[in-house]
Amino acid sequence: MEFAIEIDNLNVRFPARGSTVQALDGLSLRVGLGEAVGFIGPNGAGKTTAIHVLLGFIEPSSGHAKIFGQDSRQSVARERIGYLPEHPDTYRFLTGRELLRMAGKLFLMKEKNLRERIDAVLRLVDIEQAADRRIGTYSKGMLQRICLAQALINNPDLVILDEPTGGLDPLGRMDIRKLIARLRDEGKTVFFSSHELSEVELVCDRVAMLARGRLVAEGPVTDLVAPGESLERFFLRTVAGPQSEQRATPTSREMGNRKQKGHRP
Amino acid sequence: MTKVLCITRIVWLDMLRRKDVYVLLILLGALLTALVSLNIFGLGGLVVYVKDVGLLATWGFGWILAVHIACRCLPQEEQRGTIYALLAKPVTRLQLVVGKWLGAWSVTCAATLAFYALLTAMVVFQGGTAALDGAVLIQGVLLHGAVLAILCALGLLFSTRMHQDAAATLTYVLSFAAFIILPRMPGLMARASGWHGTLVSIVYHLLPHFEIFDMRKRMVHDWGAVNGATFLTVLLYGAVYTALLLAIAWLAFRKKRFSRENLA
Repeated sequence: MEFAIEIDNLNVRFPARGSTVQALDGLSLRVGLGEAVGFIGPNGAGKTTAIHVLLGFIEPSSGHAKIFGQDSRQSVARERIGYLPEHPDTYRFLTGRELLRMAGKLFLMKEKNLRERIDAVLRLVDIEQAADRRIGTYSKGMLQRICLAQALINNPDLVILDEPTGGLDPLGRMDIRKLIARLRDEGKTVFFSSHELSEVELVCDRVAMLARGRLVAEGPVTDLVAPGESLERFFLRTVAGPQSEQRATPTSREMGNRKQKGHRP
Repeated sequence: MTKVLCITRIVWLDMLRRKDVYVLLILLGALLTALVSLNIFGLGGLVVYVKDVGLLATWGFGWILAVHIACRCLPQEEQRGTIYALLAKPVTRLQLVVGKWLGAWSVTCAATLAFYALLTAMVVFQGGTAALDGAVLIQGVLLHGAVLAILCALGLLFSTRMHQDAAATLTYVLSFAAFIILPRMPGLMARASGWHGTLVSIVYHLLPHFEIFDMRKRMVHDWGAVNGATFLTVLLYGAVYTALLLAIAWLAFRKKRFSRENLA
């Protein structure tokens, strides 16, 4: 069976002031074709590090990562990937269209295909009207969308999104959520890290939860979460222990459950 | 090659839209116009004087541009986070290093050519077409291009592991030291002995010999072109030195872990 992502016993250690930090500790994970997988975990859990290994930015200390069966360190492994980094920014001196052209050229796309694809992704992220404006004049939401457009220029089979909704308003978050759902429906593999657990719950087939560099939970949301429980509560229970669970405020879903049962919130 | 040229194009668009080059071109134009029209110390009428100061300014501005652009290319990508989106595409780090170098070098060469065109126009205006030897001018421009290639590669090399300001400072110090001190070193080598002599000899052979590319005196005093073999040997030296620096830059960059915070 072919996997979009295969991570086997991945260890990443960083030197830090005379000692070493274990950023990833024996991480193993597989993501099948066409799956939408949410990669969740607290800050510093190693999510971005794992994504950076997948993209070949970081050499692992041991273990290996593969993309569509190819070693992630090889540049050919990135031909079928679209990636949106955390805190995306881009060349603000270019126009949106110039940026997409440049991105397409890096995938060696033919001129005619590229023109059509640029128009298609501009429509997809709904930024056609600003395509010929300098990116420096864009709002944060528009910047996020043009960065997403450049990640999709090659019509990738695997889309890796690192905190795609970070810093966006509710409307922007909804747009991204719709887009992820659309990509999933088109049969793309979507792998995204997020702190917005309600979004992960809505759009993902499966979640992989990371804590201190280790995989602590993995599976479909419905299998992991008890009936009536939210993913957020499960997250707190798994990552920080029961005491933090007691401190947590009830989520809207749980509030609804309590109201149905006649509890006061 | 398409990928390398694509990265080169980004450097070009960045420079064209930042307008740094235009400022230097206007500065040079103003300087040359002042030299010709103000007749400072009664030397305004001398073509030699215009050529001398104009070439000095052209070398100075070219030097500044080369260091400024080359030292900024890679750290800026890292600082604004664009390096992640760029390397997430099927682009190797070697292609990135070569593309950035080619961008920095070609922009600097284009700007320097514009400086030379302006200077030539001024010289011809002042002393007629006979005031400039075409063959020496072509050799001088080509060898100047080789100097800029080495400078860009040196700046890029330092910037793979340093903040852009630190890289620029180090490039300026090292290149000026090489340009000014190296021609005087053979005398020092003759006097030094033992490990001092070995050390001086290593420094002498390791640093780039920018002085061998300098055709300014020949251009100013119309001493004529150098012979073809010497000219090609010097060009080859420049190409090999640049290639070596780029290879070291790639080695330094190929396993680098990026961090926006470190460069902010």
